[in-house]
Amino acid sequence: MITAEQKPIEEIRRMLAPYKRILALGCGSCVAECAAGGEKETAQLASALRMAARMNDEDLLIHEKTVDRQCVKEFIIRLDDVIGDYDAVLSLGCGAGVQAVSEMYAEVPIIPALNTEFLGETRDQGYWVENCLGCGDCMLYDFGGVCPLARCSKHLLNGPCGGSVNGRCEVDPDIPCAWQLIIDRMERFGALERLETIYPPKNWARKQGSGPRKIIREDQQP
Amino acid sequence: MTDSRKRSLALFYCRNVPESGEDVRQAIEKAYGEQIHLFPLPCSGRLEPVHLLRALEEVADAAYVITCPEGACRYFEGNRRARKRVERTREILSAIGLEPERAGIVIGSKDAPRTLSQLTQEIYDMVCRMAASPALKRGRG
Repeated sequence: MITAEQKPIEEIRRMLAPYKRILALGCGSCVAECAAGGEKETAQLASALRMAARMNDEDLLIHEKTVDRQCVKEFIIRLDDVIGDYDAVLSLGCGAGVQAVSEMYAEVPIIPALNTEFLGETRDQGYWVENCLGCGDCMLYDFGGVCPLARCSKHLLNGPCGGSVNGRCEVDPDIPCAWQLIIDRMERFGALERLETIYPPKNWARKQGSGPRKIIREDQQP
Repeated sequence: MTDSRKRSLALFYCRNVPESGEDVRQAIEKAYGEQIHLFPLPCSGRLEPVHLLRALEEVADAAYVITCPEGACRYFEGNRRARKRVERTREILSAIGLEPERAGIVIGSKDAPRTLSQLTQEIYDMVCRMAASPALKRGRG
């Protein structure tokens, strides 16, 4: 999923300053899972902003709404009936959600309330970790299901670096050494010899070499 | 002190708090009128920052939660979660320039348990020493 964190309230208030009627728009998918932009967080932020406005004698109206997915047109379109009531939308979606709403309602300013962080996993309650860079050329088979690009602090395809101690990364002992994890898993599968391959530098063209990426699936289109 | 009785308190409490049954809740609300809003919770771990914030926005000069004693939660960690959520709420209040003390937690004592009525009185007395909240919806007493 895509992870995000809320921007500081001060920054959000600065961006909202020119507007009087705001729709705080949550997203019920990834950012709800990482407790940044779901229905609860949207209500929380809207409440805080209304109180801040009241304390500063500002004439500000904030309503709340949460759609299931801010990055899918079929869900965004449900704003058609209400969007005209507002000067701006405060989006608690990820960067993709903010832009999808912007594209749909070109005449309405869409303000991001979150900083989008990374593709990650919910490791535990309240604990999310990055484990995918979205490189466009998945090599998880080669590395026993542990991505060295995302999880090795040095992004080494030909590791280990030799600096880890007791399975912890020398960059930060809180980080498990990705190469230790890779070797442990490959050993368990009896596939250590796969690591004898020398990998050439990653071809990043599939991630960022040709401008914004897109996926077109004709079988999924109308 | 002359207008301090006009302070309002939203009080969330775990149902494990001694003598906190429905009859007691009704009696307290009747005695204090609009100044006290009581919200029983099956467990204080159910509390979210949004509950405290909404209370501060709509009905109360202060919003508090009473939990059962540490280690006595029937769901094991509800009161620990409540503490963290009050801390989070206080951070939000600080970020908007409101005194963080307007949200708080009172943890019940194993050794000297107090009833809901006693705790309500103690917390309300403390709230009455605060100024009226500038964040509370206008038009309220």
